[in-house]
Amino acid sequence: MKLEVAQLHSPTMLREMAVAAIRTNKLSKNYGLGRGLFDLDLEVSPREVFGYLGPNGAGKTTTIRCLMGLIRPTGGAAHIFGLDCRRDSVAVKRKVGYLPGDIPQFGSLRGKEVVAYLAGMRGGADPKTVRSIAERFDLDLDRRFREYSTGNKRKLGILLAFMHQPELLILDEPTSGLDPLNQQEFYALLREARDGGAAAFLSSHILSEVEHICDRVGILRAGRLVNVAQLEDLHHIRAHRVELEFAPGTPVPESAIRSAAGVENVTADGQRVSCTVRGSFAPLFEAIRSAKVTDLVSTEPSLEEIFLSYYSETAPSPKALPQ
Amino acid sequence: MTAVALGLRLGRWGIAGFSVLAFVSSLIQAVGFYQLAGHTPAQRAAFAQSMTQLASQLTLILPPPTRLDTVGGYVEWRSFGGLAILFAVWALVSASGAARGDEERGLVESVLAGGLPRFAWIAARVTGFAAASFVAALASGLGLVAGAATGGESVGPGPILEVAVGLAALGLSCYSLTILMAQLTSARIATAAAGAVLLTLFLGNTLSRTFTWLASWRWLSPFHYYELNHPLASGGTFEGRATLTMVGIALLAAAAAAVLFESRDLGSAFLRWPARHRPVSYEPSLSLVWRIAVVRGLYERRVGLAMWAAGLAAVGGLFVSLTKTVIQPLLSIPALTHFFGGFVGGQLYTSFLGYFWLSFAQLLVAGFAIAQVASWSAEDSDGRLELMLSTPISRAAIVVERALVLALGALAVAAISEVAVLITSHYQAMDVSAQKVTEASLLLVPFALVFAAAGSVLAAWNPRAAVGLLGAFAFASYLVDEVSPIFKWPTWVQDFSAFKLFGMPLSSGIDRGGLAIMVAIILVGFGASILLMERRDVGA
Repeated sequence: MKLEVAQLHSPTMLREMAVAAIRTNKLSKNYGLGRGLFDLDLEVSPREVFGYLGPNGAGKTTTIRCLMGLIRPTGGAAHIFGLDCRRDSVAVKRKVGYLPGDIPQFGSLRGKEVVAYLAGMRGGADPKTVRSIAERFDLDLDRRFREYSTGNKRKLGILLAFMHQPELLILDEPTSGLDPLNQQEFYALLREARDGGAAAFLSSHILSEVEHICDRVGILRAGRLVNVAQLEDLHHIRAHRVELEFAPGTPVPESAIRSAAGVENVTADGQRVSCTVRGSFAPLFEAIRSAKVTDLVSTEPSLEEIFLSYYSETAPSPKALPQ
Repeated sequence: MTAVALGLRLGRWGIAGFSVLAFVSSLIQAVGFYQLAGHTPAQRAAFAQSMTQLASQLTLILPPPTRLDTVGGYVEWRSFGGLAILFAVWALVSASGAARGDEERGLVESVLAGGLPRFAWIAARVTGFAAASFVAALASGLGLVAGAATGGESVGPGPILEVAVGLAALGLSCYSLTILMAQLTSARIATAAAGAVLLTLFLGNTLSRTFTWLASWRWLSPFHYYELNHPLASGGTFEGRATLTMVGIALLAAAAAAVLFESRDLGSAFLRWPARHRPVSYEPSLSLVWRIAVVRGLYERRVGLAMWAAGLAAVGGLFVSLTKTVIQPLLSIPALTHFFGGFVGGQLYTSFLGYFWLSFAQLLVAGFAIAQVASWSAEDSDGRLELMLSTPISRAAIVVERALVLALGALAVAAISEVAVLITSHYQAMDVSAQKVTEASLLLVPFALVFAAAGSVLAAWNPRAAVGLLGAFAFASYLVDEVSPIFKWPTWVQDFSAFKLFGMPLSSGIDRGGLAIMVAIILVGFGASILLMERRDVGA
């Protein structure tokens, strides 16, 4: 036990704890015509799961590729555990597990050969870890890559990112193509990695996904970081579209719904009412408590829709999130 | 119509590249004719006589010539004979890409989901290639027109149109046959299987000129019908029936391909082994080969390497077995006997092999290098390079590993073909210097690396255009070696050609100067590609 405490407080360990898992300073990648990434200042702590949200084309993948040293920033700098992402890219990648947005083609190689190939390039991976992850996702490693479905290719990508138990996971839309059961398995795997000491940076455009697993989120729009918020702050921008249907011949409590806190955009058409609920559902349920509801459908709008409603696309600067 | 346009758009670089190659090829041969053949009828008759004697011994590659005393006859033999092979290769690559490559990328799935019937997709791709090959063939005819103009002659539009139609029909029949083979086999071996069929049809036709027992089978080969056309030579003819037969082969093969395509699943072959039941495995491969740099690259390419080695060995053995048949008639010509005696210093068969076999081997090895560069480009466009670079391996290390894999692969291919040449020459009772053959075979490795170095620079600079540009570089390199002696270009210009730098190692020994330049090109090329790789964006 003493040895463990000594190790925990060794100078090296303390230094490791002090440096951010990811730190960017005015990181920019300008593709011209207003496209790219601009002046990104971001810090992700060790053991933190950071969600990176933004609509399509916002610059999420560009950020990730800059962090991985795959593309050259046109300005600023990015560091992973204090190492420069371009200059020290080999050392950086020893610490990182990466899942790209599009899984590459490996043609006729078998799953186990793809794993061995990339593990070989890393200097090896623990077969027990590989077996454990493959079992969790029920991924048959004896099949050829070209025979894999989209979901199985994504599972293989997850296995490749996690197999060497990296200190930092950089994941580009990791659950895209996974069915709900495997999504839950992925969330569990990510939590275990965090509990084991790893940090994670994952991009997504699914709000509910980052709510499941992230400690903090950064919201990107048109290449600029709009805000970085704690998880609970998301509830302020999160919205649901609700469709209510009341029993025929019964009164519709339209005015009560309109006056309920957090309920917006109310439209009524006979026995049907639709509205948007921001934050808690409690005021809406209170408003309809005495009415006879025959159907209630709640859907989560896409991130693009939330952005359109929460941030004015035409405004020069968006509204700040509540802190 | 939209599908035809899509096919043309996907193949636009091929159309542009092959049109330029075809134009330049005919232009240079036409201009070269006026340099070589003289200007008086007597000079041209003498030229035609000597060339006809030589041509009769080259029928393994080129068709028999007619009227070599005319620019049309000469270009028909020298340019359009070789273009037949070039168009067949183009058709092979395009058709296997259209049939299986686009399927792997999900393009075919998207198109079919849009409501296009399967037979219409095949028809659209075949129609698109028909238009593409006609454009490139016409460009070749225009090259002849331009070249003839430099000699003060003109070629009418009729023969130009006829030769273009014949060449396009050959390309089309090769395209449809490849599309058909691609339906039968898995995507993994589609190109190789179709290539084997086309090579068999080509050799079946050319070898039937030497081995009479093959003559009864030549009607199967579209190359046979192509050679029946002689529209460019004075007094030559355009065989409409032969051209229609080539078009008929194309239509029949395309129709059969459409039927097979209707009957198979997307992503699967028509001919499949029954699936074996086997338990699910979660075990990673523990094989050592994946852990060792370079070895993993060789192991992954083992099937391709084996096919290249077998192909080169088979063609080497074939050349050796034909050597005596070819050389004996040449020795009966007094002037050539004197020439050979002075030139080869007694090592007649060794020198002859050096000229014919090694010239062909160089082309094949250049093709091998281009195929490897194509796989580097594919790694980039498929996103595989992005994943490789997510591991703790530097970009420089990836370039170096690629170079070493290619060098060792080329060494294996060259060594196996050398063994085949030596064994065949032993059984043919030919006095061939084993040491010289070994040296010449080893020289094929730096030769391959010259193309690889150029390809590495191109793949690092612009991976999408790398294969096309490298193909153009190889063709230009070959042309420089071919036409430099005709136009008496200075030595430093000739040194731009890898074929010239390779020299004639079997008859003249290894050209140490040429080898030094090759090594310099390899070092500079790979060094430059490392610098380019370090600076470029990957996956953007």
